[in-house]
Amino acid sequence: MSAQKRRMGGVAARSVTADLFAEMLPAMASQPVPVPVPVSAPVPAAAPHAVPSPRERTRPLPKQLWCAVVFPDLGDSEAAVTLQRLSLHALQFTSLVSIEMPNSLLLEIKGSVKLFGSLELLHAGLAAVWERLAWRVQRATAPTTLAALWLARAGIPSCIEDPRSLAGALAELPIACTAWEPERLQTLRSMGITRLGELLRLPRAGVARRLSPAAVLDLDIALARQTAPRRAFVPRERFRRRCDFETEIETVAYLQKALEPLIEHCAQFLRERQAGVQALELKLRHRVLSVTRVRVGLASITSDRRRLADVLDEKLGRLELPAPVRGMELLSGSLQPLSGSSLDAFAGLRGGGRDTAPELVERLRARLGESAVYGIECIPEHRPEAAWQRVHELQLTPAARTGSVRDWRLQDDMPRPVWLLAEPLLLSAAQLGQLAQGALALEGGPERIESGWWDGKGVARDYYVARQMHGARWWIFQERQTKRWYLHGVFA
Amino acid sequence: MPRETSSLADILADERVWKLKDASASLGPSRPVWSTGRSALDARLPGGGWPTASLVEVLLETHGLGEIQLFLPALVESQNRAGEAPWLVWISPPHEPYAPALAQQGIELGRLLVVRPASATEALWAAEQALSSGVCAAVLLWLQGTDDRWLRRLKLAAEAGGALGVLFRPDRHRFESSPASLRLLLTQGERETHLDIIKVQGGRPGPVEFPAS
Repeated sequence: MSAQKRRMGGVAARSVTADLFAEMLPAMASQPVPVPVPVSAPVPAAAPHAVPSPRERTRPLPKQLWCAVVFPDLGDSEAAVTLQRLSLHALQFTSLVSIEMPNSLLLEIKGSVKLFGSLELLHAGLAAVWERLAWRVQRATAPTTLAALWLARAGIPSCIEDPRSLAGALAELPIACTAWEPERLQTLRSMGITRLGELLRLPRAGVARRLSPAAVLDLDIALARQTAPRRAFVPRERFRRRCDFETEIETVAYLQKALEPLIEHCAQFLRERQAGVQALELKLRHRVLSVTRVRVGLASITSDRRRLADVLDEKLGRLELPAPVRGMELLSGSLQPLSGSSLDAFAGLRGGGRDTAPELVERLRARLGESAVYGIECIPEHRPEAAWQRVHELQLTPAARTGSVRDWRLQDDMPRPVWLLAEPLLLSAAQLGQLAQGALALEGGPERIESGWWDGKGVARDYYVARQMHGARWWIFQERQTKRWYLHGVFA
Repeated sequence: MPRETSSLADILADERVWKLKDASASLGPSRPVWSTGRSALDARLPGGGWPTASLVEVLLETHGLGEIQLFLPALVESQNRAGEAPWLVWISPPHEPYAPALAQQGIELGRLLVVRPASATEALWAAEQALSSGVCAAVLLWLQGTDDRWLRRLKLAAEAGGALGVLFRPDRHRFESSPASLRLLLTQGERETHLDIIKVQGGRPGPVEFPAS
C-alpha cells in the first residue's frame, strides 16, 4: 500500500471512529475485544468515592497521538535541566512537548504526521535525534499520554493508532510501569494482580474504593475515556539581534533611525510568541572603547513596538556617545506571557488620551531616572517622620489596588501637615520671641507623641499647630527633655 | 441652499454659535468643574469651580499659605469620580508630601505619583507628558520661573489630556503675562492670607474672601 493510500484510509477510518466514538465506550464492555474491560461498569450513585462514569460524557475526546520518550539512563540530579534541554530538540517535531518527571518526554505528533510525510518517517527522524545525542531511549506511540508512557516504560516499542486497541495493548503490561506509589502497587500485588489486564477486569467502584479514585482516573486517561491536558514546555528564549554599520555612526539621531528595524523585529518576535518583555538592553560597539550598554526597564510587560521604541528613543536621546558606533545589538530580557488586559485594543481610547498609566510612568522614568518617579504610602507608626515611605514598585493596574495600608489612618482630629520637613528645624531666637509674644500663636495642641524607645530613635514631643502672624500655619513641637522648639511641617 | 427660518432660541442652541457672554456656562457640560470646597471662591469662578482641561497658575509669596488646601477637595473629588482618569502627579514639590496628611484628607495614595526631575526643563517636560497622557486627573507643578512658550505648551497639553494643570510659582512673576486661563495670587496679609484673582477667563478679577481653613 502506498503512503498516499494509507493516509486516505487512515482519514476515512478516523472520521468513522469520530462519529462512533461516543457510542463505542459502552459497547466495549460487551464487545469481544482481546481483553474484556468490565471496568466501565456503572458506579452506584452512593459510592463513597464517586468517580464520574465515562458514560456520562457525550463529547468525543480530541484525537491525539502521543509519542512517549523515556530516558532510562537519566540520573536524578539535574534531571529537570536535562529534560528541558532535550525538550528543545523535541520541539523540531511538534509544538506540544510536555515534560514528565523524572525521566520522560511526551510529544503530541498527530499534527506533525502530515508535515513529515508519514508516521514512519517521523519516528525515524525522532530516533535519529536521540541517536545523534547518544541517548538510549525507549519509545512508544499511543493515542493517549499515559498509554504511551506506560508502553514506553515497559520497553515495548509499539505504535498504536486506534484507541480501541488500547485496552488490549495495555493488558500485558506489568503494573509497575504505571509508576504509582509503592504502597498502591503493593496492595495490588497482595491482591494477586501483576498485569494491567487483571486490574482492568476488576469492577470500577471496587478499584476506586480499594486503591484510590486517582488510580481509576489514570486508567480512564490511559484508555482515552478521560481527557488529561498536559502542560506544554515553553522554551526560555530571548530576543537577540545584531546589526553592523557600513560606516561609523556619530550622532544619536542616526542611531535612532538605525534602531527602528531592530525594534520592529523584536516586536514581531514577541508577537509570534504571544509574549512580552519588561527589560531591553542595547549594546553599542565602538572601535576602541568598550561596549556602551543602554538598559531600559518598562513599567509593565509589553510587546508593543511603539512603546519599546518610545522608551529606547527617550533613553538614547539623553545619551552622549563616547565614540562613533560601529554596530549595535538589541537584546531582550526574559520573555513573559502577556496578560489579557494588555491586548485591549481600546485601551488607548479611554479618557481621550493616548497613554496608560504604565506607559506614562516608564516614559518619565526613562528620561528622569528610576528613582525620580515614586509613590508614597502610610506606615502604621506614631513617629511622624517614620509614618510614611516612598514606593518605587508601583502598582499600576486597577486590579492591584489594595486598601490595607491606606485604611490605616490617624484619628481624624489629629492635624497633619501636607509638607513634612526632611529634618526638624530648630526655631530661631527671633521665632521663639514671636512665640513668646503671641505673634506665632499656638492654635491646636498639644498632641503628645512618645514612641520608639525600643529602637534607639525614641521621641518624646508635644506637637502644636502654630499660626504665623502673616497667615502661614506651621506644625511645631517642643522636645520634652530639652524643652527646645522645632519646626517639623507646614500646612499648605 | 434654502433653509428653514429658525427662531433666535434655535440659533443660540446651535453648538456652532459661540456666545460671547456666559461662555463658561456653555462650556459647562463638556468640561466638568471641580468645586474648590469654598463657596466664596466657587462663586467667583466660571462654572463654579476649578476648570478641568486647563492651566491654573498660583503665585505664592511663600509656601504654607494654604495653597494645597485650595485644591485638595477638588483632587479628592477627581479621584472618587468613577470612570475618570484617577492619577495625581506632583512634580518638584518644595518638600516631601506627607502621606498621612493626604490620606487623612481622603486622597487615594495608590494613585499619586511624585516626580522629582533634576532640572526645571525636565520638570516642564514631565508636566507636559503627564498632562497630555489622559491618565491624570490633575498635575501639580512647582517651579521657580519659566518662559511663556513652555506655559503655552503646558496649557495645550492640559487641554489635550483633559487634566487640571496647576502651576505654583513665586509671586515675583505676577506682572509677567501668562497663558494660564486662571491666575491666583496668594500673599501674606496682616493677620491672614490674601487671595487675589489676577486673571480669569469668563469672570471678574479681584480679591476673594479667603477664610482660614
